[in-house]
Amino acid sequence: MDDLYLIISTLIFFAGFVLAVVSLRGGRQGSARLNIGLAIAGLIFQSLFLKERGEMHGRCPITNGAEVLVFISWSVVIIYLALGRAFRLSLLGVFSMPLVFMFQSISIVALLSHDPGPRPPVTLDPWLELHAAMSLLAYGAFGLSGIAGVMYLVQDRQIKSHEPGRLFYSLPPIRYLTDAMMRLLVIGIFLLSIGIVAAFFMKNFPEALHLTVSGAVWVVYAFLLLIHLVKHLTPKQLSLSSMVAFGFALLTLSAL
Amino acid sequence: MSIFCLGVNHKTAPVEIRERLAFAESSIPSHLEEIRGLVEVNEAVVLSTCNRVEIYGASEEPGKALEGLVEYLVNHFEVTRGEVEFYRKEAEEAAHHLFEVASGLDSMVLGETEIFGQIKKAYATAQTSGATSRRMNKLFQQSFSIGKLVRSSTRIQQGSTSVGSAAVDLAEKIFGKLDGCRVMIIGAGEMSRITAQSLRSRGASSIIVSNRSFDKAEELAEELDGKAVRFDDWGSYLDQVDIVISSTGAPHAVVKKEAVARSLDDRRGHPLFLIDIAVPRDIEDEVNELDNVYLYNIDQLTRIANDGVARRERQIEVCRTVIHRFLDEKGIEALAEIPSRHRSDDNATAGETSSGEPIPNS
Repeated sequence: MDDLYLIISTLIFFAGFVLAVVSLRGGRQGSARLNIGLAIAGLIFQSLFLKERGEMHGRCPITNGAEVLVFISWSVVIIYLALGRAFRLSLLGVFSMPLVFMFQSISIVALLSHDPGPRPPVTLDPWLELHAAMSLLAYGAFGLSGIAGVMYLVQDRQIKSHEPGRLFYSLPPIRYLTDAMMRLLVIGIFLLSIGIVAAFFMKNFPEALHLTVSGAVWVVYAFLLLIHLVKHLTPKQLSLSSMVAFGFALLTLSAL
Repeated sequence: MSIFCLGVNHKTAPVEIRERLAFAESSIPSHLEEIRGLVEVNEAVVLSTCNRVEIYGASEEPGKALEGLVEYLVNHFEVTRGEVEFYRKEAEEAAHHLFEVASGLDSMVLGETEIFGQIKKAYATAQTSGATSRRMNKLFQQSFSIGKLVRSSTRIQQGSTSVGSAAVDLAEKIFGKLDGCRVMIIGAGEMSRITAQSLRSRGASSIIVSNRSFDKAEELAEELDGKAVRFDDWGSYLDQVDIVISSTGAPHAVVKKEAVARSLDDRRGHPLFLIDIAVPRDIEDEVNELDNVYLYNIDQLTRIANDGVARRERQIEVCRTVIHRFLDEKGIEALAEIPSRHRSDDNATAGETSSGEPIPNS
């Protein structure tokens, strides 16, 4: 049943993505209500998948790579739903759908080809749960920051080219995108900091590699933020850095 | 009972005629009363804007009503029958005309929204004056629905249609809302003034004007509620403004890449939008290569405006299809037969929708 929830959720995000591409090609933003409705529907099925997997393992459902990708996708969607409108970026959801679709498709293939099944029962450690949940929520925020970066680069190119195309009318102003990128970076670092601090209170202290990797991601983003605050990176540099940093964060996941 | 429309617009009459036919806003209620006193005019709405003067009405004999209205206009305004050709539309044709006007398809600037508000105001005035009843209420109510539908489901409003609006649209895609945006004008020409006014109307503030002749700078600064600075000093303000409009008569570049690059450090990541409307150009082309700096010259803005006009023109048929589809589904309500029991109390029901609900004065 959990696989079915994941497949339905992935199909919903795929539908949202296709709909958005059709709207954008037509030079329209598409219906914000429909985009949000699809994101909520996808989130519900994602949550059902994670709930079933959580019950199966008796802990936070991030016991393998496939589950971790679904959890990050869930974080991306929930942060978009919570903050997208506040940042005046309803289109952020549209741009995040391909990422969510890609992550969940990989998870489906992985789980259908080899599902490791339930993990042996463990005594629940709330600090471990907090560490895992906050860290992956931070990845969601970093992911959205990278997506805002992509949107910035597209809009910057549209304006610089002197021949604004259809996307020009649909994409948000570049200042909103720059602001959103910064805020999402700050939110991500804040969440990751909580996750790392929580690791120090865990019953079983995490492996050195695990802590090193989490610390490396934190350092990369903190450095990026610091450089921006001190040296005032241009929005283009911030966008590229944000995208590269998220790529690095994803790579670190494979090391865990 | 049928509906009709009589009028002139920017396509059928020059401004010299339209200005003579224009109804003063304060006199419309009394005109409406007189028009309704004419033979065979049961209901009336006067729509008088700078681009059109139209009278919509309902009558048992629209032909006679239209003739009476022409007579009325000739007697009350300084026009003769020979110099003005009114268009006369009846029944479905009149309704379709209003729907296209409300959708911005009959406007000088295709798809503009101002006309929608003007129709609402004209209808509200007629309604308050007791000059509307079921036919006009249904007709105008339907025109508002269609106007909204056309604008929300087509791209008739998309794209800029003038150099000024292209500059404003670009500025909004860079800064979002222009509230609080700071503007500097280098060279106090007419185009600078128009562009600055467009930006100001969208919320831009703190306008700085610099010109070789300081008197002229002060004059324009006063008009725009801004501040005049000496021409030698404009460079020191470059890091404090968001938008620069340059239109000097200089034969060489006034704003150089080096100067703009120097100002970037102090801008703390704030974008800079440069609008060069001078010929020869005032701003070095290479400025556009700088990160976070956007430069548009007069040709590029004109091209965007022309593309916008062409884009809107391509939408006309799409809009007409939307209108036809809407009417296929719902029909023109004002042309529907009204049950006889309602006819006697036509005037008593002014201010109600087809469902009997009061019409909001919006």
